[in-house]
Amino acid sequence: MSRPTYAERVARAGLSRVGEPDDSALRAVVATVGVVDAWEMVRASDDALPARLRARTGGRAAGADPGADLERLHALGGRLVCPGDDEWPASLDDLDAIGAAPLAMWVRGAGRLDALDRSVAVVGSRAFTAYGAHMADAIAGGLADRGWATVSGGAVGVDGAAHRAALVSGVSTVAVLACGVDVIYPPSHRDLLTSVAAAGLLVSEWPLGCSPMRHRFLIRNRLLAALSRGTVVVEAAVRSGALSTARWAQRLGRHTMAVPGPVTSAMSGGCNQLLRETDAVLVTDAAEVLELVGDLGADLAPRPQGAVAMRDALGDEARRVVEATPVRRYVTPDRIAQTAALPAVRVTSLLNQLCAQGLVEVSDEGFRLAAALRRAR
Amino acid sequence: MTLARAWSVGLVGLDGHLVEVQADLADGVPGFTLIGLPDTALHEARDRVRAAIANSGEKWPASRRITIGLSPATLRKSGSTYDLAVAVAILAAAGVVPVESTDGTVVLGELSLDGRVRPVRGVLPAVLTAVRSGVRRVLVPTMNAAEAALVPDVEVVGVPHLAAALRWLRGDPPRDDELVVDPIPVAPTEDAAGPDLRDVRGQAMGKRALEVAAAGGHHVLLLGPPGAGKTMLAERLPGLLPELDLTSALEVTAVHSVAGRLPAAASLVTRPPFQSPHHSTTVPALLGGGSGIPRPGAVSLAHRGVLFMDEAPEFRGGMLEGLRQPLESGEITISRSDGTARYPARFLLVLAANPCSCVRASGQPSSCTCSPQARRRYLAKLSGPLLDRVDIQVQLFAVGRGDLLDTAPVEDTAAVAARVAAARAAAGARLAGTPWRTNSEVPAGLLNDRWRIPPQLLRDVDGQLDRGRLSVRGRDRIQRLAWTVADLAGRSVPAREDVEEALALRSGAEAIAA
Repeated sequence: MSRPTYAERVARAGLSRVGEPDDSALRAVVATVGVVDAWEMVRASDDALPARLRARTGGRAAGADPGADLERLHALGGRLVCPGDDEWPASLDDLDAIGAAPLAMWVRGAGRLDALDRSVAVVGSRAFTAYGAHMADAIAGGLADRGWATVSGGAVGVDGAAHRAALVSGVSTVAVLACGVDVIYPPSHRDLLTSVAAAGLLVSEWPLGCSPMRHRFLIRNRLLAALSRGTVVVEAAVRSGALSTARWAQRLGRHTMAVPGPVTSAMSGGCNQLLRETDAVLVTDAAEVLELVGDLGADLAPRPQGAVAMRDALGDEARRVVEATPVRRYVTPDRIAQTAALPAVRVTSLLNQLCAQGLVEVSDEGFRLAAALRRAR
Repeated sequence: MTLARAWSVGLVGLDGHLVEVQADLADGVPGFTLIGLPDTALHEARDRVRAAIANSGEKWPASRRITIGLSPATLRKSGSTYDLAVAVAILAAAGVVPVESTDGTVVLGELSLDGRVRPVRGVLPAVLTAVRSGVRRVLVPTMNAAEAALVPDVEVVGVPHLAAALRWLRGDPPRDDELVVDPIPVAPTEDAAGPDLRDVRGQAMGKRALEVAAAGGHHVLLLGPPGAGKTMLAERLPGLLPELDLTSALEVTAVHSVAGRLPAAASLVTRPPFQSPHHSTTVPALLGGGSGIPRPGAVSLAHRGVLFMDEAPEFRGGMLEGLRQPLESGEITISRSDGTARYPARFLLVLAANPCSCVRASGQPSSCTCSPQARRRYLAKLSGPLLDRVDIQVQLFAVGRGDLLDTAPVEDTAAVAARVAAARAAAGARLAGTPWRTNSEVPAGLLNDRWRIPPQLLRDVDGQLDRGRLSVRGRDRIQRLAWTVADLAGRSVPAREDVEEALALRSGAEAIAA
């Protein structure tokens, strides 16, 4: 596909102003005559258009000024990404196959839309529990630690927790909005959305100034699913919009995952239903997510390691401390330091770490080797 | 002349008010009344003053009706501090000393029946108040003269007895035993810095905890069996802290003066104080209080120093919680019937605890018979919001014979204190332009923003967070500690081993949670 001309850009901007993305009549016109002519027809209220489409778009077309829209977008530091642009992500073409491709993407932020090759959508309810908050944070944070971006909807609840975890880890995150990229919604996320724009991207298929409406969220969900390699539903009730994202992911052949919750918790009902009734895969942490969506072989979740193998993987100082730690009797860190000929404060730090790894045990009297290593000695 | 006045100072906490003592000698039925909200001790001043004047060889105006008015009349006045001022006012009204001789002079002191002037509490804050109110001369008991002379810009006259005070007011030359003290330049006292760290054998981590606490201003919990040397360690913490600057020294001295804790040859307290209340103490003794005007408690006496609470779980309920206000705001407010006093209370808290209640009896950790539940219950008395403010929580172990044989060179207090001073300077330079001086004060938000530790160094920390072994607050605390450890090592940014050591400095927290 060749790079779009300015006229085509204006046409796409104009068409996204006059019609909703799920307007099949408008979509049919675009498919027949192309975007530039379709825009001319809509603007001139051409008689060749179906009467109902004319009625729907006429009012909006009269007030539309896509050239000015684009100028305002540029003034905000944003850009319109159209099919054929370098930044147009190939993943969105999958929507073409099912006749649901967006006309253009209005984006704002430091990130790039085509850099979402390694990204996962983390979605869930707006009303979440502490469990949902923790899991969203753990999964998005874990993905970020391994260099994967998080795509989400910018809403309160799970979405917000996921964006925040990614931001804290210093990795790009993308908020796909159901309103213009200049509209702050929800208002309580003013700071969060500003940070997302600074470190990642705000994305929308609606022009500037469009307000979030109920049906737009459902249309938006297909972009969340399409832009990422897979979708994780963290916590969702049976009627949650997050399930619509999961359904889109399944329709697009993307990986669909869900974090299970207590069967007694209505807030996890949607996740559990997804696991029971669909092909969604149960995941409990970021490593398991990556095992599914990551590169074959490269992103396997780590197997639980045996204590002996862990000892062999220790650093030089830590190994000396293990050697100096007695099998049966508990001794003080100072004694272990003498035997290992290392500074006592350093030895205490290392013993503390070995304790966390389960390689040594601690009592009121001091440290000794843990059971697993006692047998190995 | 039948009306005269003298000046004194009334203290509510450390706040002083200039009090005017008026004496009126009128015709009428002879008598002696004292008005202006006096308490019992002050009512007794009538008898002390009458006896002291008679026994000093002066004539008591027995045929007159004597009224003493203390103003402002709404301020509650207590104690014996006003005795000397009352006597001077009466004798001025009676014409024994010139009326104008008392102008611009604050008179403090208790009289005994034979006319001697006895020392009183709170002379330092009283003289500070006098100077702030523009008074340039104070008449104080000889025993308090050195304390009063700590205040700059004031002429201090120490008087041993009433007759000397009268002679001075008349302008007669003083005799040998009467003292005029010039303001003495404040020189740091050469008092010993307390016990030396060299005396502690083994316990490398315990000593390190003190060093980090002193450098970063972190509160400490020492968790370990008897014989681990918790008390020995805590007593050596003040020695690691830097000398008090002049403002702090005056604050500390003033609090000790109000509490009546300054020695007779009072000099400025320039070393950080050390307070270790026993666990059987009362709430007023710990936090301040008492009847009438509240007096400072151990938390205020430990201001700019160390408050050591041994056997912390044994302190009665509510007492530990009472520490939260001073830990939060650096001062404590106590209200009693006669007024509300605010005392400074910015101290370094050292808590010590045994792992359970039974080892206290036996002294042998291995003979512990407590069930895990009993141990948890014992330490649970500490948990909650109090421990939330204690950055360092280390587990100590009983020192064995082998540790005593250790011949490795042991650092003395001076060497460690030098490192602490350097670390404090480094932290001060980094925090320049902020309201904070030590790492422990830096708010969590800035730790994740302005003074961020590279995320890859915090991987272990975050791993523990993910596994629920660490709280988010615990993570902040580890970052603060890592900065202090880095300051001590002379590094401008924490390295991996600093973070690892910070984790080890929190090992006691796990022992409590276990």
